[in-house]
Amino acid sequence: MIMSEISKQNLDKALNVLNTEEDGKLLTHLNACVHCALCADSCLYYNVFHEDKYIPAHKVELVTSVYRRYKTLSGKYLPGLTKAKDLDDKTITEMIDLLFGACTMCGRCVSHCSIGVDIAYLVRKGREMLSALEKVPETLQSTVQAAVKTGNNMAIPVEDLVDTLTWLEEDLKDDTGDETARIPLNEEGKNVLYTLNPREPKFFPLSISAMAKIFHAAGESWTLSTEMYDVTNYAYFSGNDEEAAIIARRLYETAKKLGVKRIVLAECGHGSRAFRWEAPNYLKQEFDIEVITSVELIEEYIRQGRIKVDKSKNRLRVTLHDPCNLVRLGGIFSQQRYILQHTVSDFEEMNPYGYENLCCGGGGGQLSMSEYNERRMKIGGLKANQIRETGAKVVVTPCHNCVDQLLQINGFYKLNVQIKTMAEIVADALI
Amino acid sequence: MYWYQILSLASFVVCLIIYSFILLKIIRLGKPRDYAKPSGDIQAGIKYSFTGALNPRKKESAYLHLPTYTAGLVYHAGTFLSLLLYVLSFFYLPYPDLMKIPIAVFLLISGLAGLGILIKRISLKKMRTLSNPDDYLSNVLVTSLHFLTSFFLMGYAFAVYYLLTAFLFLYLPVGKLKHSVYFFAARYHLGVFFGSRNIWPPQNA
Repeated sequence: MIMSEISKQNLDKALNVLNTEEDGKLLTHLNACVHCALCADSCLYYNVFHEDKYIPAHKVELVTSVYRRYKTLSGKYLPGLTKAKDLDDKTITEMIDLLFGACTMCGRCVSHCSIGVDIAYLVRKGREMLSALEKVPETLQSTVQAAVKTGNNMAIPVEDLVDTLTWLEEDLKDDTGDETARIPLNEEGKNVLYTLNPREPKFFPLSISAMAKIFHAAGESWTLSTEMYDVTNYAYFSGNDEEAAIIARRLYETAKKLGVKRIVLAECGHGSRAFRWEAPNYLKQEFDIEVITSVELIEEYIRQGRIKVDKSKNRLRVTLHDPCNLVRLGGIFSQQRYILQHTVSDFEEMNPYGYENLCCGGGGGQLSMSEYNERRMKIGGLKANQIRETGAKVVVTPCHNCVDQLLQINGFYKLNVQIKTMAEIVADALI
Repeated sequence: MYWYQILSLASFVVCLIIYSFILLKIIRLGKPRDYAKPSGDIQAGIKYSFTGALNPRKKESAYLHLPTYTAGLVYHAGTFLSLLLYVLSFFYLPYPDLMKIPIAVFLLISGLAGLGILIKRISLKKMRTLSNPDDYLSNVLVTSLHFLTSFFLMGYAFAVYYLLTAFLFLYLPVGKLKHSVYFFAARYHLGVFFGSRNIWPPQNA
């Protein structure tokens, strides 16, 4: 059934994803797995469901078995020897279910792999194949399409955004007692172009207020763009580099047009990764504008004394959830800890934490794919246990995607904690 | 030289040529161009990938599975030792008993480790699901190499030893045994990736 819907052109495009002639990294990782299954314990899905299909090596095998079938001599002439698989209905169905529906691409299995196979990278390659076959789950694809067509993944009209920002600016004036306090829009020549996760203007405007207060306190020269402010890039998750490039280019060109010195990425794990690390490769150019995350910026403000904070203003016990794309796959580890050291009085790490932290379960586009909600909430149980063990009353995480998942976990597992962004906890500590 | 020695040597040369080709291709391709400005030290990341990152205390695949991990280490040590002894076998070096017996015993132990890994692969459902004929065949060939090298050292199974190695070397470039090359390339690429992003070496190590 599935194969009859796929054009020859798309099939070729999908198989071309596995071309290794000019890609030593792909060639290596496609040939390195030894099927030891020791990666199983590092996967949230396997740990919760204990089904063989969730072993990361099994997900890798879905991609590598197709590679062997079409791209190696042994796979072409002796497919049974290595279980080389045809890209047929059965394989594609399994790929959709496991590569989209049972992997958050958190990368935890990668550093624990006995060989060093970049499993998350191969899962992304599998997603690229499915994207070429036009088999991305519709729920995820519609999020990407909204961003491509409207400039933000929630299709928020500019007028609505401006309305929200206008009343937030009024609040900012009241809160700071400064009538000159502003949320600048589309202003040229500023130091910082700040971005937003569209969930902020839509559902969590107070996190915008929090960041605006920090900018105000730091005396920062900054602006938002109403033309392009979306930090997210769900095409990274869908596996479509062309659409990812459209989204990334829009942000880069907006920054160039406004003549800013820095692009500051809002608290969004995958958004930070997609723009900081992947976008230059989508666009095949080195960026001539500095790109940093808001976590790095806030740390810089505290270190330089540009904002003054009092940790006694945050007395409840706080724990930190490390977003996978920002920490394990983005290298932002010490900055958020430095910030919390200065802004909260009682901090408790989760176990494990940092590079070893468990994914919240909402990564990899899972929050967009409602068809996998049940799985997502079940794997979130591991995070719920981690939070409960800390005894924390507040969970801070520098990622709106994680905030969403943690809010749902909070309700589902009755944790009775507050979930906050880094900007919110810092704004609460401002003096 | 006997015909089976010549056969073995010929397949060894073929294997070396194919492996050299694979290795040269990996070296030629290098790492993909990364347009993102690194925030870390790539060389330090590569170094860590081959050192600290392989520390069994850092890897769940090791510390949660210590018997398998230990068996794997012994098995791989036995494999490299067997390959070294294979090359030396053509030089007809006289090994003193004091050296020969411990080596032969070690190879019996490493062979048993390989056998243990094979039994695990057959008996555990999660491994059976994941395995293909190549996984079993590769293990059987390499484990047999350990045992036969041990017997060979003690003066037995001369012909069988060279016939097995002849087949093994022809099979090496076909299936999973290629990981003997790709393992090093995978560690390199991981080191580049994590080093570039300032993840390796870890800041909290």
